[in-house]
Amino acid sequence: MSVSNLLENWSQFRHAHPVDDKPHDPYKWAMSIDLDTCSGCNACSVACYAENNLPVVGKEKYAHGQVMHWMRIEHYWDENLGEEGGSEFPDQGAQFLPMMCQQCEAAPCETVCPVGATNHTADGLNSQIYNRCIGSRYCSANCPYKVRYFNWYDYPSTDDVWPAEMTQQLNPDVTVRGKGVMEKCTFCIQRLHAAKVTAKNEGRIVREGEVQVACQQACPTNAISFGNLLDPEARVHKQWKAQQVELDKDKQLKDEKEGGTELRGYRILESMRPYPSVMYLERVRESAI
Amino acid sequence: MHRFLRISILLTGLLAAVNIFAAESSQLVPMTEDSLGPLVEQPIEFPHDRHAGDADKGGMEINCMYCHTYARRSAVAGIPPLQKCIGCHQSIESVRETPRIKKLFEYWDAKKAIPWKKVHDLPDFVRFTHQRHIKRFNEQLNRPIQEVCGYCHGNVKEMTVARRSKALSMGWCASCHEKDHPVTAEGGTPIDGQAYWYGFQKPESSGEVLKAKGPNDCWHCHK
Amino acid sequence: MMDSGFDRRDFLKVMGWSGAAVALSGCGNTSIEDGKETVAPYVEAADYVIPGIGVYYNSSCAQCDAGCSINGRVREGRVLKLEGNPASAINNGRMCGLGQAGVQHHYNPDRVREPLLRNGDKGETITWDKAYELIAEKLSSVDGEEIAFVSGGVSGHLKVLLGNYLSSFGCKNHFVYEALAPGVVRAANKKSYGVEMPRYNIDKAKVVLSFGADFLGSWISPVHFSQQYAQFRKGTNGQRGTLIQVESKMTLTGANADRWVHLRPGTEGILALGIINALGTAKGDIAAAVAGYDRAFVSKETGVPPGQIDKIAALLKLRSPSLVLAGSAAEGYAHGSQNAEAINLLNYVLGNIGKTIEAAAAIPFPQMAPAKGNTAALKTLNDGLAAGKYKVLFNYAANPVFTAPGAMKFKGNMAKADFKVVFAHYFDETALQADLVLPLDSALEDWGTHVPEYMVEGAQINIQQPLMEKIHANTRGMGDILLALLKQRQADEYKNYEDYYAYLRAAMLQNKAALGGVDADDDTFWNETLMNGIVKLEGEATALSGKPNVAGLKLPTLMENDEEYPLHLIPSVNISLRDGRHSNQPWLQESPDPLTTIVWDSWVEIHPKKAAELHISEGDIVEITSKTGSIKTQAYLFPGIHPEAISIPIGQGHEALGRYAKGYGANPFEIMDAIFDEETGELAMHETRVKISKTGQKVIVVKDESAAGAKQIREKIAGRVSTDEVDLSKEV
Repeated sequence: MSVSNLLENWSQFRHAHPVDDKPHDPYKWAMSIDLDTCSGCNACSVACYAENNLPVVGKEKYAHGQVMHWMRIEHYWDENLGEEGGSEFPDQGAQFLPMMCQQCEAAPCETVCPVGATNHTADGLNSQIYNRCIGSRYCSANCPYKVRYFNWYDYPSTDDVWPAEMTQQLNPDVTVRGKGVMEKCTFCIQRLHAAKVTAKNEGRIVREGEVQVACQQACPTNAISFGNLLDPEARVHKQWKAQQVELDKDKQLKDEKEGGTELRGYRILESMRPYPSVMYLERVRESAI
Repeated sequence: MHRFLRISILLTGLLAAVNIFAAESSQLVPMTEDSLGPLVEQPIEFPHDRHAGDADKGGMEINCMYCHTYARRSAVAGIPPLQKCIGCHQSIESVRETPRIKKLFEYWDAKKAIPWKKVHDLPDFVRFTHQRHIKRFNEQLNRPIQEVCGYCHGNVKEMTVARRSKALSMGWCASCHEKDHPVTAEGGTPIDGQAYWYGFQKPESSGEVLKAKGPNDCWHCHK
Repeated sequence: MMDSGFDRRDFLKVMGWSGAAVALSGCGNTSIEDGKETVAPYVEAADYVIPGIGVYYNSSCAQCDAGCSINGRVREGRVLKLEGNPASAINNGRMCGLGQAGVQHHYNPDRVREPLLRNGDKGETITWDKAYELIAEKLSSVDGEEIAFVSGGVSGHLKVLLGNYLSSFGCKNHFVYEALAPGVVRAANKKSYGVEMPRYNIDKAKVVLSFGADFLGSWISPVHFSQQYAQFRKGTNGQRGTLIQVESKMTLTGANADRWVHLRPGTEGILALGIINALGTAKGDIAAAVAGYDRAFVSKETGVPPGQIDKIAALLKLRSPSLVLAGSAAEGYAHGSQNAEAINLLNYVLGNIGKTIEAAAAIPFPQMAPAKGNTAALKTLNDGLAAGKYKVLFNYAANPVFTAPGAMKFKGNMAKADFKVVFAHYFDETALQADLVLPLDSALEDWGTHVPEYMVEGAQINIQQPLMEKIHANTRGMGDILLALLKQRQADEYKNYEDYYAYLRAAMLQNKAALGGVDADDDTFWNETLMNGIVKLEGEATALSGKPNVAGLKLPTLMENDEEYPLHLIPSVNISLRDGRHSNQPWLQESPDPLTTIVWDSWVEIHPKKAAELHISEGDIVEITSKTGSIKTQAYLFPGIHPEAISIPIGQGHEALGRYAKGYGANPFEIMDAIFDEETGELAMHETRVKISKTGQKVIVVKDESAAGAKQIREKIAGRVSTDEVDLSKEV
């Protein structure tokens, strides 16, 4: 990168924020996950392993917390389960939460990388550049969602991670990471890129439905919507709009209305102001039973 | 005062350390336009000059994409299947018994792929799409194909086997992408006649000719 | 000590600049490594092959028997990833995690690669010709009744060929065995509805009352039911569907329920009759049959509070149509058939027949219809082996040495057969007992046609085609093997078929008109069939009949409390591992169990109250002992289970099956008693009683959830809202 470009654009890279006068255009990739239809089956998580060359770390490393699942399903019981005044049994079921990189607009990880390996793209994604990363792990320390995963070992050369023949399954559009780099959900940038190439060849932008990310494509209940938030035809745009959730607010206007809101859409840890690009729809429980 | 001193010492030290490290860990290539790659020996010394070269030098002026046919459709230009070579050579009697052609037919008879050594081998973490570049320069801007291919691959029509003649480093690629290109609606990424620009590169339009920079979003090229 | 104000900001600036320094020094250096890697082009490339761009082929998923259709992305001749085929009405382009792992079944490093003949403890490589000769030799020296063929569920043309092969030497002993089979539900459905597997329209129901049917996880056709479930939640006429799950141990579906009702193990039928009583709408002999099942009685037997019974009945009355399902938890008892029939009765009383329970179409080619696996077959097989009745035993797509209850002593009985041939992908426990192991093509390398048991719209035949060339040169497809064996005995009849592909093609073309290709020429029809991956047929309509059977209903009450073995063992079915055949697929081992988030191991779920009584805490290695035997595994405190029950997942505890499966966890089948459903003879998997004791050892449980025990602790991470607090009408 030339020195002049670096000097001119460094602060842009560092401080891009939705309130700036440089909004994303024409793409802002976003996601919406319906927790009422999500069944917790883990199909999305396995699909992500398949698409993005994720290493299987094995039991011992898993015990050390070194698992690499970019998309994980968190499992929660109700708060009062087993407590005073609550039930001994999970009478209203459990809760499942698919959690992946929220592609925050004001990502806490972007500002602290000592070498600028993680930046905000014009599409509204939080990029992670493997060969720039030096492995300081400051980014994952800062991530409030803890969705960044570090390669503590060189998995390509570790026994039984990719033994012969299993290497043939690796996706050539995604780097196979070596030791010492940080990785995380990329919103399947390789698929987005392929879709953009097709669209550019035809002189247009990517339309709704043309690109699906791996987790969305696998999900048996269609709980995951993904698309261009700026495209009025996109399902994800319609959902964010219907739920009155806006990207650049840390406290949604609907929440300030009297008596709260009757809409289900929310973003996790919104008050910490990372401005995540993933909206969740609260799970619903029938009151009549 | 102290603060300034402390910072500058730290910085200098870091710069020095980093540069020493960088110098030792990879071949330090002088930052010039043209950087010759190593001479790579191939299983058959394929003469590009004979096939793609100018007629007055004895060449047949075959279009690059006749053999490297995937360039306009795919991320890779592709090495032609053996069938492509045989397609012509099965009826060219005049060279049938020459050593290189004999070797070619040995591979064909055994139905074995020729194990070419890769030249212009970009690292695995780079995403480069031939298709977009051919589309822009050859199809939209109507530059002749040899000029388009030659910009990155050098003067192949005067080589036998290909030899890298440009740096193909990130800086080299980015230098083109950072140029202020004059871009019209045809040459830009037109959507409904309106050229589309990504956030950072929106040009300060002055006069009739818009100028723009190429993509500088790291993820565009880094996988 | 920094005192001159070199604060964090300055530090970060310095770090930032040094980052820039690194970037600067990166310019001009090149990482191009010419001459190091080889690029091998094609020799003869097909027109549609473009290096760098994938080709997509449709095929059938073979990871479970739901029969989803898949679409494989193939780059440069290697299959990379599987997606769902949008053309199939069963999965509509969706895939479960198990299906995704199909590539790991295919590329698995522990596949069998050569035919092997036993010599003492070792297997010696032999040629396929020699193997076929040996089989012919062994068969010629015995009668047809002395030969047994065990297979998993089979359908389509493979079933036809297998049937032909067996009848070529007069063998009627084809045991179709699936460790996880809804055998009791099938029989109860036949009695109650007239068909073994009707269509369950979850998407049309306003309330689903499921007695242990884990339809989102592992029951019958989970991807299809999940799709329907999504629509069910969106609701008809703005009324969101309500799910009530009744079971003793929480399944994945139970975790998604609006109301999870735990009850004493085995009392599902009693509760069903109690709900009919509470509804008060039944007449005639049904009313008479449920007269004794008042709230007090039912509550005492099941442990479900009377108020809860009333609420369920009230909701079912209010919102119609509903759908009541009987699942594996209901049927896993010696009175499982009674449970299932009682539950089916609820559908009658609620008027669901014809609305949410409809007849499925039958395939117009009955010879291709699935031969459904069940567990009753295992008992007959085992008895025969024990008596020395079978001299030659074939085994395909089943692993009875692993999945047979320990009490049946299957391994020892199998040894009594003189000559055992196992067709295998991997060295599983059954293959290790074989005399001859024949290596199979993986599901992604093979041809086939499959007819799923659970039909969705009309009927369909799933086409299986290879997604790439064989990885190992010496494996063969099961169809090819059968054809070769058939040619030994009936050379004339099969001489026109060079291989199984030719046979399939010829068979499909022969019926071209009936398969929708009446106007097309042969090649076009065949190519389109392969391209679509499925053949959709109208199918033959079947009708629901059957009468609610009340006369035969006889539910046992309060099963004897066994002093020595006080706890019920519930072997649970995990969505990824199922009956254990996928434990060698590492993505699945690393995929946390949705309810406990435990990986790479077994565990025993104990209710915290019971655990406190027994002074067991998380991670204690405990010994679980039944009349049959004992196993050891780690304890996990799990509130979603009845305190009188404990649960151990099926699928771990392999002693073979390769590096990713061997040695992980414990196998609950080992300690399972051989108790069977009285009516159908199906294995009653939930009848085993156990006791539990600490061993004194302790481990840290390897799981994904935090030590905080799966609570959100004041933050709104996963939000939840009640129907009376939310307005769903404006949703997209």
